[in-house]
Amino acid sequence: MGDKADVWQGTLALMVLKTLESMGPLHGYGIARRIEQVSDDLLNVNYGTLYPALLKLEQEGYIDSEWGVSDNNRKAKYYKLTRAGRKQLAKEAREWQQATDILARFLTEPERTS
Amino acid sequence: MRRFRGWLVRLAGMFRKEQSEAELAEELEGHAQMHVEENIRAGLSPEAARRDALMRLGGLEQAKERYRDQRSLPWLDALVQDLRFALRMLATRPGFTAIAILTLALGIGATTAVFSVVDRVLFRSLPYPHDDRLVSFGVRAPFEGIEFMLAPEYAVLRSQSTPFESMTSIMPGGTGCDITEENPVRLSCASVESTFLSTLGVRPIIGRDFVREDDRPNAPRVAFLSYGLWKSRFASDPSVAGKTLSLDGKPVQIIGVLPEEFEMPNLGAADMLLPQALDDSALDRKNPRVVLRAFARLKPGVTIEQAKAGLEPWFQESLRFVPPQFRAEVSLRVRSLRDRQIENSRVGAWVLFGAVIAVLMLACTNVANLMLARTVSRQRELAVRSALGASTVRLARQTLTESLLLALLGGIAGCGLAYLLLQAFIAIAPEGIVRLRQASLDFRVLRFGLAVSLLSGIIFGVTPALADAAPESLSGRSMGPAGRGFLRHVLVAGQIAGSLILLAGAGLLLRSLWQIQSIPLGLETQQVVTAQISLAEHRYPDTPKQIAFFRDVETRLERIPGVTYLALSDTLPPSGGMQETFYATIEVPGRQRPSEGTGGMVGWRMVTPNYFPALGIRMVRGRGFTDEDRAPAENPVILNEALADKMFPQEEPIGKQLRFFSFGTQGPWRTIVGVAADVKNNGLIAPADPEFYIPWKNDPQTYVRHAHVTFRTSFSPSAVVPWIRTEIAGLDPTVPVEFSTMQARVGKLMEQPRFDAILLSLFAGIGVVLAALGIYGVVSFFVTQRTQEIAVRMALGATPRRILGMTLLNLARWTLAGATLGLLGAWFCARLLQSLLFEVHVHDPILLTLSLLILLAVAFLAAWVPARRAARVDPMVALRYE
Repeated sequence: MGDKADVWQGTLALMVLKTLESMGPLHGYGIARRIEQVSDDLLNVNYGTLYPALLKLEQEGYIDSEWGVSDNNRKAKYYKLTRAGRKQLAKEAREWQQATDILARFLTEPERTS
Repeated sequence: MRRFRGWLVRLAGMFRKEQSEAELAEELEGHAQMHVEENIRAGLSPEAARRDALMRLGGLEQAKERYRDQRSLPWLDALVQDLRFALRMLATRPGFTAIAILTLALGIGATTAVFSVVDRVLFRSLPYPHDDRLVSFGVRAPFEGIEFMLAPEYAVLRSQSTPFESMTSIMPGGTGCDITEENPVRLSCASVESTFLSTLGVRPIIGRDFVREDDRPNAPRVAFLSYGLWKSRFASDPSVAGKTLSLDGKPVQIIGVLPEEFEMPNLGAADMLLPQALDDSALDRKNPRVVLRAFARLKPGVTIEQAKAGLEPWFQESLRFVPPQFRAEVSLRVRSLRDRQIENSRVGAWVLFGAVIAVLMLACTNVANLMLARTVSRQRELAVRSALGASTVRLARQTLTESLLLALLGGIAGCGLAYLLLQAFIAIAPEGIVRLRQASLDFRVLRFGLAVSLLSGIIFGVTPALADAAPESLSGRSMGPAGRGFLRHVLVAGQIAGSLILLAGAGLLLRSLWQIQSIPLGLETQQVVTAQISLAEHRYPDTPKQIAFFRDVETRLERIPGVTYLALSDTLPPSGGMQETFYATIEVPGRQRPSEGTGGMVGWRMVTPNYFPALGIRMVRGRGFTDEDRAPAENPVILNEALADKMFPQEEPIGKQLRFFSFGTQGPWRTIVGVAADVKNNGLIAPADPEFYIPWKNDPQTYVRHAHVTFRTSFSPSAVVPWIRTEIAGLDPTVPVEFSTMQARVGKLMEQPRFDAILLSLFAGIGVVLAALGIYGVVSFFVTQRTQEIAVRMALGATPRRILGMTLLNLARWTLAGATLGLLGAWFCARLLQSLLFEVHVHDPILLTLSLLILLAVAFLAAWVPARRAARVDPMVALRYE
């Protein structure tokens, strides 16, 4: 467990949005599990960070929540993406892509001799 | 936008906590359950599954805490809590709260009000662009306080190269002018050079600037309207330029309107601006007749010193036209326009400013002292809270909130006080204070005052509170660190020093006011009524008509009952404004008249024979005028003592002859028949000017549109006024008459010193009150702190008297230290007041002693009240309490 990284604050919101986009409405546990799975269990999402992040996204209107019943008949709060959330996801994903591209170019640039 | 929405939701989140708290618990519990179930599915035992879940998920309570922080605005939450607590704290100590708020209100209120006034005088920019480059320049001579230029010398300078970008001049003093058409009205007109507006950088809101041609003597007459006149008389007509107006019976074309904020550089009144249009005779260097005030705009980067050096060659050259005996007294002066404008208010403003800073300091020390005292008394409470787990930051925030709340309440009260004070200042202020009437509350100062008192509250309240909040202080029954007591006493000593300085300063000004009020004026003011009459030029266009009117006035008014003496004169003391001539132009037979230069100014008046008895002016030698002196063939003259001493220092003046230039011609030879006592003419403090009197004749050579009628009456002045009014109205109901009493006229001159004295006394009063509050606070705190000790002492046999003595003695040392410091300070500060004082020695020992005694008495009283409480301590009660 010690080799697992905690998720960065800023990227967690993006991961949540992406998860909700690809999976549809999902409860907190589902989101956490999904993120951990996608990262091949390299990331550890604890609920001390997850729930405040969900709340923040909801406050900003990117996601919506609703009480429902889970697969094994447990009452759970389901989160789903709003239209604003979809737009925000596209935007952030694009920005993230750009940032990583630039970084990648830096890191792969061959060393010069002069 | 999204972020803002988030804030709103969080703000709303503050209000539905219970419900969302339950939902959160349920959601987190569900999360943990799902995790456990999955672990079990993966083959773990239920205990291991649960343990793993909790380990991976992190602490439940910490998660909830973080969630709560995100749900609402935690700092706002805490703030509301702090505020509630602070209000409760303040309410439980009404005495402390009242004193603190009062102190802050006095400090902030007085500072703001005074600074709002002083700022206008000392620091605000003038209503001209790049006002720092505007200067007033000219020649300074002993007979004229403000620098001036003789018109021909000005013309010479104008033709040379100067350090100025441009220069301009105006005629000193506005002159009365009448609009002579429908709705005639009397205005004040200023005559200016055509470069006037461009030099000052004033752009007319309507119309064109003056052009050089307007300044030619025979050019068609043009005029600018002031904004006020444009609005009132022309109903803000935008097409007013080009219209013609009848001014003093002659047509004048309006060429423009001045902006609303326009003011004359000499702060004179001006409803209209007219070109000077000086003719060649005014520019004759040998015979200078016209005096100008000159202003200029410096070239960029040129300093006032450089400008002065640049004018030096011209000045040296023009000195050739000054009589040799006066050359040493004449100097060149260049100073900023601001300096010229605030000349008279400057020292007063700085003194006021100093006094206000002192009061602010006193208020701050008081707040500091109160905070210190309260901190010590709250030591335990803070220690308990700290022991229970309150973080230092949290405690700091709590104390800070209390200080801020106190400052806020004090600030609000101070705001109100500042407003009232400012209104009061404006109400009692004399005419002379520059721009006072435009003064409004200055919020920068309000903020400054608030910030300073707040800062002192924080430094002295929060810092020691935190140092003492360590839980260890719970164990010992400490009496409070000795060092803190030292600091408090030093603050008290400082307060006493500060208020002693203020008190001594106020004493000096009051004493000076007293002196001024007892100055011999040279005339008797009791039972004297004056009436000022101005004839409009369009109704009385020529001298015969004017003379006829005043002759009728004289004969009609003599019939009024109760008039002991009735006199007519063209001007009246004590506020100046009389006709003047150059000393050098007065000819005395057998004496060589200096061919060049002025030789100083000599004032003169035209008076009827009863002028001297009506005003109670004593004749020192010779006789006064008689009715025979008014005959056309008679030409007597009466000198005042100052002129007689100047003109005939070693000789008998009676019987000598002189003649002078008046009404545009050389006058007849006049015989000196008497010497009258000096009368204060230009203010009370200035020495008497040389002056002479000639009889008021009904002579068409003279020019009398304005006159003063003076009555000495045996009745009450207010009874006589309606009779006079009726008589004059019987002659011509349209003539305006302005009544006053001689006492009121003299009283006006007293306004400035009275204003200074009242203000400084007010501050001294506030200072003493603050010092008393401070002393009271410290002693009563001392008593509360030592109740236990006092009780033990009393139980061991100390008498109440001894306890009283001990308490007072403790304070006495510091009071004396403060008083010594205060005396030293007062000694040095008194010098700054020198120019405001009249015939009072700056180091008046009686005054200083008196101030000291007052302060010591107040200090003793302030200490006495709580010290008595110490002496009444019941040892049993006190010991049990502990």
